[in-house]
Order: sequence, then C-alpha cells, then structure tokens
Amino acid sequence: MRTPLYHEHEKLGARIVDFHGWEMPVWYTGIREEHLAVRNSAGLFDASHMGEIRVGGKESVPFLNRILTRDIPAMPKNRVLYSFFLNEQGGIIDDLTVYCVEPGEAYMLCVNASNTENDLRWVIGQNREGAVIEDRSAETALIALQGPDAARIFKDYLDFDPDTLKNYTFTVLATVQYCDIMISKTGYTGAGGVEIFLPSEKAPGLWSSLVEQGARPCGLGARDTLRLEMGYPLHGNDIDETTTPIEAGLNFAVDLDKPGFIGLEALKRQSGQGVSRRLRGLVLKERGVPRQGFVCMKNGQKVGAVTSGSVSPILGTGIALAYLDKSVEENDEVEIVVRDRHLKSTVVRPPFVRAAGK
Amino acid sequence: MEIPEQLYYTEDHEWGEMVEDGMMRVGITDYAQHELGDIVFVELVEVGTVVAKGDPIGTVESVKAVSEIYAPVDGEVFKVNGALTDTPELVNQDCYGEAWMVVLKVNDPAQVDTLMDARAYQAYVEAEAK
Repeated sequence: MRTPLYHEHEKLGARIVDFHGWEMPVWYTGIREEHLAVRNSAGLFDASHMGEIRVGGKESVPFLNRILTRDIPAMPKNRVLYSFFLNEQGGIIDDLTVYCVEPGEAYMLCVNASNTENDLRWVIGQNREGAVIEDRSAETALIALQGPDAARIFKDYLDFDPDTLKNYTFTVLATVQYCDIMISKTGYTGAGGVEIFLPSEKAPGLWSSLVEQGARPCGLGARDTLRLEMGYPLHGNDIDETTTPIEAGLNFAVDLDKPGFIGLEALKRQSGQGVSRRLRGLVLKERGVPRQGFVCMKNGQKVGAVTSGSVSPILGTGIALAYLDKSVEENDEVEIVVRDRHLKSTVVRPPFVRAAGK
Repeated sequence: MEIPEQLYYTEDHEWGEMVEDGMMRVGITDYAQHELGDIVFVELVEVGTVVAKGDPIGTVESVKAVSEIYAPVDGEVFKVNGALTDTPELVNQDCYGEAWMVVLKVNDPAQVDTLMDARAYQAYVEAEAK
C-alpha cells in the first residue's frame, strides 16, 4: 500500500521500506540528520498510513466510553486524549488518540497503521450500542510537522499560529488551498509541533510547500529514534495484547475510577496485586546497540528483555525500553546481552531526553 | 556511488587495497555504508587474529541494521583502526580513507587476483540493486 505522499518521497530520493504492508520512507538523507533536524529546527513526517475511524451518533459516547480507557463524556470539544483498546485481560489491542469533534456526537480515533484493519473489525464487533462507525483512513492524510521551528513555519505559511493551541487540543482551520484541515497540537517526537489531518488529495501540495518553507522531510527511522528518546511506547514492540497499561507504566491514560470499560476488571486486579514486571528505560554505560529481544541480566539471573533499542543521536549512547522483573528498581545496574558481550546499563525513568518546553 | 579504480572488491561489499609487502588494507564500500545508513558502532577483531577468507573480522551496526565484515582473503590481522570505536560515523564520511578497518598480512598473493576489480564490482552492485 502507498500513502498519497508516496510520489513526494520518491521525488525526494527516499529510501523506501516495507512497514506492515506500507511502502514508507525510512530515511531521505540519514536518520541522524533527520533526528537532529526535529530536535533543533523542524521536521516533516508522513503519517498517512495511520488509520482514522470516525464514530458518530447519539450512541457514540456510551459506546466509546465502554471500549476506551478514558472518560469520554467529560471530553470537551477539540480535546485530544491518548487511550487504549484493551482486551478482557487488560492487554493492549492498540494505543490511539481520541479527538472530540463534537461532544456527544462526533469523535475521531487515530490508530496505528499496522492495526487499522484489526481495530476496525474489533470496534465494529463491539458496537452493540449502535454507534455510526466509519473508516476514513483512505481519504485522510496525516502530516506531522515537529520541532521548535514547527509553529513558526506553519504560521508563516498558513497564517495561523499553532502555539495558540494548548497541548492535546486541536482546531479545524478553513484554508483556500487545502479545504478544512485539522491541526492537532500533538506528536510522537517530544519536540513540539503539530499533526495535520487533511484530505488525501490535498496532502502532496501541503507537504511540498512545508518542505519549501524549510521543514526537513523525515522518515520512519527518525520517527522511531525520536519516540524512543522520549520513552514513548510503540505498539507491536513495547506494548501488545500480552502487556497491560499498568505494566507499561501508562496508568495516566487509564481511568480506573470509570466504571464498566473492557479490561477494567483485569487492570483493577493487577493494580491491587501489583505487577510482576514493568517497562523500564535502560541507558548503556558501554558502547553498543541494544535491540529488540536482547536479554537483560542482573546478578547472573535473567530479569527481562529489550523491547525497543537504539543509539540516541542526542546522548550518543545506547538506550532501550525493556520489561524488567519487579525486583529491579530505578538506578539499578542491569546487563544487556549484546551477542556475546554483557554490557552494563543503568535503569532509568524515561524520557531519556528532556521534552521541548519542559 | 564511488568505486575507486585501484581497489579489489568482495561480494559482501568489502574493499581491499594492496599497500606494502603483501599487506592489504580492508574496509567496507560506499555502497555498503549507504545501504546501512548512519553507522553507530564498529567492533573489530584483535591484532594477531588469523583468518581465512570469509571469516568475520568485525561488526558494523547502523541504527537499523547489524552487519558482519568478512576477510577478503586468508591472512593475519596486522593492524586495526581503533579510531572507529570512538567515531564510527567516519565509516559514512570516508569509507575508503580514514575509515579503513583492518590491515591483513596476506597469506597467498594469488588469492588477491580472485577478487573483483572496480568494473566487475560496479556490475555486481548494479545487478544486486535490481
């Protein structure tokens, strides 16, 4: 599958890879340069492969409130929330953002590209309330403009200052060139900026204009190292149907006081009993590259395994997320087995790099 | 893509350069560094290691991939480029120059002639890219 921006990527000489069936740019000139552009100025990402599911009608609130972990009736217009679809065991079917388009009437769910089909099937299967569910993925493009200069670039071009938006809110901007575009003060980089939803056929024009304005095209490679530096989990790596938000330390996105959502009972149980493992950050003290699946050892015992790892372009050291036994605490030393070497690392609480504006 | 005329090449994208008295300097090609992307880690075998053609002489890691480097010919590792430990990014910047990886003392000079020359390697890379 291809996003509406595929030909833009080709024109820019991107290295294209397969990402869960999508032909996506992994880099244009290099992951490190693109990563640093986002931290220091502004980068542009094609996230059009992600899924957009519209949920509408009077039944949308009771329905969403039952399948999501956040308090949907309390969402004001134009608010964005990070949330999950959980199974009955509390395992994460997907993580997503919820957009309140019209309270009580219209919501949009933005889900992972790799899970869109599965999510859609699951959401439709759960819909006993009779909400109106519509897959808008094909006609919706998503461009992320991220970095300290993102707001200025956007304002110079479209005469709207995204910094007038609070984090985790959005607005709909009527433009002559691109029709109605949805500007969301969110992102997956920790560098600040916006995510822009717009009609697919309008996406190439906005993309190339923002590139002309100085935003650097960035591929999935930099998207991954940027999110990892912030400790943001990637579904399929760090979280999946066998891990819960409590184990992943994502309690902030679960409202345990809210009655009757799928997975709540399991999470309450786990919350009461305590978890046997937790997703932690690791910073290598020696040279090396931690990667998914590498075993973590402490005092000669296996205490867990890496779920995501790379070398942080900002820190210049190896960083990783790993599920570690509950006995392991922050600041402990853990060894990561990198092929035949045991590399020392320190257990930390992510982010590995401070987020912009914090 | 740069493929210097005077070098020898392997199918695993190493280059070899005959320097002096049966010594071969070895590194990875421009094509290889470009395919790997940003190199973040280089580990090389120790001086004195005896290797046969095709034995690993090191590991190169980029953000996205891990790749072994293999000996182009039989020999003994005479020198390793320690600078790559601290500055692995040199491999992206100057793969045929400062980012040489090891110097091998070649056992059998006749083996060198079995390697590809620049023209053959060019054709090989073009075929692989298809």
